[in-house]
Amino acid sequence: MSIGHAVLLFLIFPGFLFTAVLGLFVSWVDRKVTARVQFRVGPPFYQGFADFFKLLGKETIMPTGASRLFFLGAPLMGLAAVTLASTILIAGMVWPNQSFAGDLIVVFCLLAMPSLAMIMGGAASKNAFASLGASREMKLVLSYELPLILAILVPVIQSGWRLRIGELVNYQVAHGSFAWSVSGAIALLVSILCLQGKLGLVPFDQAEAETEIMGGALIEYSGPPLAMFKLQKAMMLVAMPAFILAVLWGGLGNSISSFILGLAKYLIMIVLVTLIRNTNPRVRIDQVMKFFWGVVSVSGVLAVISAAVGF
Amino acid sequence: MQEAVLNKLTEDLGPKLKKVFRKSKRRVYLDVEPDNVLDVARHILGIDGVRFAIATGIDTPSGFEVLYHFDFDKDDMVVSVRVLANRENPTLPSVATISKAADWVEREMRELLGINFEGHPDMRRLLLPDDWPDGVYPLRRGKPWEGKVEKKI
Amino acid sequence: MGFLLKMLAKSPWVFHLSCGSCNNCDIEILDLLTPRFDVERFGALLVGSERHADALLVTGAMNRKSAKRLKTVYEQTAKPCLVIAFGACASGQGIFRDSYPMTVPLDEIIPVDVYIPGCPPKPEAMIAGIIKGLQKLKG
Repeated sequence: MSIGHAVLLFLIFPGFLFTAVLGLFVSWVDRKVTARVQFRVGPPFYQGFADFFKLLGKETIMPTGASRLFFLGAPLMGLAAVTLASTILIAGMVWPNQSFAGDLIVVFCLLAMPSLAMIMGGAASKNAFASLGASREMKLVLSYELPLILAILVPVIQSGWRLRIGELVNYQVAHGSFAWSVSGAIALLVSILCLQGKLGLVPFDQAEAETEIMGGALIEYSGPPLAMFKLQKAMMLVAMPAFILAVLWGGLGNSISSFILGLAKYLIMIVLVTLIRNTNPRVRIDQVMKFFWGVVSVSGVLAVISAAVGF
Repeated sequence: MQEAVLNKLTEDLGPKLKKVFRKSKRRVYLDVEPDNVLDVARHILGIDGVRFAIATGIDTPSGFEVLYHFDFDKDDMVVSVRVLANRENPTLPSVATISKAADWVEREMRELLGINFEGHPDMRRLLLPDDWPDGVYPLRRGKPWEGKVEKKI
Repeated sequence: MGFLLKMLAKSPWVFHLSCGSCNNCDIEILDLLTPRFDVERFGALLVGSERHADALLVTGAMNRKSAKRLKTVYEQTAKPCLVIAFGACASGQGIFRDSYPMTVPLDEIIPVDVYIPGCPPKPEAMIAGIIKGLQKLKG
């Protein structure tokens, strides 16, 4: 693979441009479903794009005393990480034979970076609310990373300890998706809960609680850095469900019908996340930790054990 | 039912009440002298089911009139204890010494009307801004703040 | 620049600040987010921080304590931003003009773009005011 080919993959498809456009569109789907559930009309389809471009035109205000490097570098870091993760993931689903060894672990670590970027940005803001939001985001990350690892261990065990996304996808094409087995089904449920936490949506949006801590970790951001944070959040709406789809739920397959089925599964995940968002209140951060370290982690351990036993 | 409660109240308090005015079935005004306020309030708060609701102050031609409103929830009536403070040196004993609920409202009356409450544990400013001049009491009659406070911030 | 202003008119994020209001206007603002007068059709959202805001919705007659803070909040808002004086009190202090805690009216503290009179304004008047403000922004 030449450098030009790699750059094209990273920037156009399935990298930055594709993920950004799809992510901003899917964020509209989320807002529209929310509006319809509340009997409202909701925003027009280009709303995500309008928000992004509007933010690019505002001024950037740096708080005095904030660290310039970390304040302005945090959104860039998060954006780069989610772009790279999305590139590797979608390329792993569309061209499964070209994924490299261990890219499952690489993608997993890259997908943890956007939360770290928010923590970094919040901690660099020199604002009491921002450090509160950053500390809450830290507690959130501590909560949902463990069940997510356990959920991902299930397909790894079931496929015979393969760590390439391409090999997991090929295994599912040959033997049916992992979600049809008992351990796979539990792992899918666990990972959808962790998806809700990772995307920072109610009931797990303590880091950016609007009415509570006035914008949380993002309180001091304005203009283009805020645009990059919002874009990063929209792109995570593509990368995280694609991760769960590729590793646990069958990927995109190699025929037209399985491709359409894969898209339908992706949409189901988005709508499920939106419906959970609309029917639940925001909970306290200690309740979140109890939830993830209690019920969800125990289910993850059960899923791993049943995968090891053979179910 | 309210008559029975009112009769028992007048019986117990007896000579301490200057006047008993029953405005309607559920609304009673008891006039007392400033010296008897604490005793009357202590007695009323001792009755089962009574709570201190709020106090109000107003600048009338006969002096500063302070009313303490007590809620008789079970009997569905409100009893107000009215006490007058004279204009030159408005001083009253503080009900906050026997009921924590009267704490803030007496601070508010102090800074807006200028009534001194003896024995109040904490007489700081409550509502007015920090740069408001001392000795200017806005809720007195006339416009006492005219000329003393600047309009621009 | 024209494109960015057009995008600004399509997605106004609103920050609501009350400077000594009786809260009636604040309750009417919540009205706008209900299904009957849904204001999210225009892309408007209520944001938690003034740095994210494109429109400052100010209610209340200016009393001394909050007028000082209002000036700081206005300076912290990222420009370009729209200032909407909401209700009779914010437009010209209404019936509280000669009262003791009042300072100067809102438009002598910060520059105002749209006045929406009423006590409280009807939701239809509010939406009309927001649309007029967005058209003014587009130029």
